[in-house]
Amino acid sequence: MKAIPLLLTSAVLLWSGMTVAAGTQYDLRVDGLACPFCAYGIEKKLKKTRGVTSVEIDLERGVVVVKAGEGAKLNEARLKQLVKDAGFTLRSMTEKPLP
Amino acid sequence: MRPAKIHILTARRLLVLVSTAILLSSCAWFPSVKEQPYKLALSWGEKGSDPGQFNDPTGIAVSADEMFVSDARNGRIQVFDFNGRFIRQIGKPGEGADELGRPMNLAIVNDELYVADYWNDRIQVYALDGAHRRSIGASGSGPGEFNAPVGVAAGPNGDLYVADFYNQRVQHLRRDGKFVRQWGMTGKTGFRAGQFNYPTDVALDNGGRLYVADGYNDRVQVFEQNGDFSHKWGGPFAMNISGPFIAWFATATSIAVGPQGNIFVADFYNDRVQKFTPGGAFLTVFGIRPGGPAHTAIAVAVSAEGAVFVANFDLHRVEKWVAD
Repeated sequence: MKAIPLLLTSAVLLWSGMTVAAGTQYDLRVDGLACPFCAYGIEKKLKKTRGVTSVEIDLERGVVVVKAGEGAKLNEARLKQLVKDAGFTLRSMTEKPLP
Repeated sequence: MRPAKIHILTARRLLVLVSTAILLSSCAWFPSVKEQPYKLALSWGEKGSDPGQFNDPTGIAVSADEMFVSDARNGRIQVFDFNGRFIRQIGKPGEGADELGRPMNLAIVNDELYVADYWNDRIQVYALDGAHRRSIGASGSGPGEFNAPVGVAAGPNGDLYVADFYNQRVQHLRRDGKFVRQWGMTGKTGFRAGQFNYPTDVALDNGGRLYVADGYNDRVQVFEQNGDFSHKWGGPFAMNISGPFIAWFATATSIAVGPQGNIFVADFYNDRVQKFTPGGAFLTVFGIRPGGPAHTAIAVAVSAEGAVFVANFDLHRVEKWVAD
């Protein structure tokens, strides 16, 4: 009988651990990323933002891929300002939960 | 009747004058090639992090017998001989005293290597053997502070000139980082003489004149040794009009003075290097078209023998070009 609660507890803990490990991916569509002088500026500003775990420039798609940890929600207005400060204009943004 | 006739004559003269002015201006804006283009003699490198590989080469400088390349995403400087043989590495990625964030344009003066460190907001100075000598500057917009330094030049007395990218200015500092003066308005872009729109690099000639690659103004600006504005060039009126024509720019990202005093400019979005007289008269152009969405010629340096070394950003390699 003791094994069932233990199993349930383990399952809940495992599930909650998986949830904690997840986060959000933001794809920011920005023009002019081919020039590293400005692209590095976006990376620099985003990496200093609390909760951001990684920033990658996808030149082929013209997209900045930002990953943030669980609980670190980034709002569009803030991202728009960060991109503007780096010398770009944020064209559009999509977000999806990380698996 | 007489006043009307005079009026017509004056109008005709004015028309001829304006047409002539436009024609002359057009000649100035669309010059012809005065020298043979350079030819590609050698290239080396590919994307990677091993010795001899690059991940975003963004700066280049030459000493008497070695060539130094900013390997930005690998956070290091790689040193080669003039035939592309790897010799050593300087710096490693990080924020520590002797480490590099994103190294950009470089300068070598008096056996010291000056590195504009974009991410750490400082100028790193190394001996040419790689020993770290000192760091200059800190993050900010005050005198002697930087917001993404991207280009550096040094005078024979150790004075520094720094292209301070997001602060929209060029700073003149003493060897120890003490502020002397600046060109441009801090944090404000402008297209008039002495103003900047994301300056990317600086170079000094033997007479102490300062050449600035005024990146997004698509032009070069020149300042006398006493700091006065001298002249500018790049497209019509040299005021932020970009284009693919010769002597025009589409983001100037690096500038170097050759052994004869001529000026070489990396014209990034046009994927080429352009060569000018110190006065800005166009001489020749050379480069390689990109294979992907990135662009090629991002940084340029010239050896004492006149070989031109170019960092090819798209192909993650270094190229050696020689006069044909």
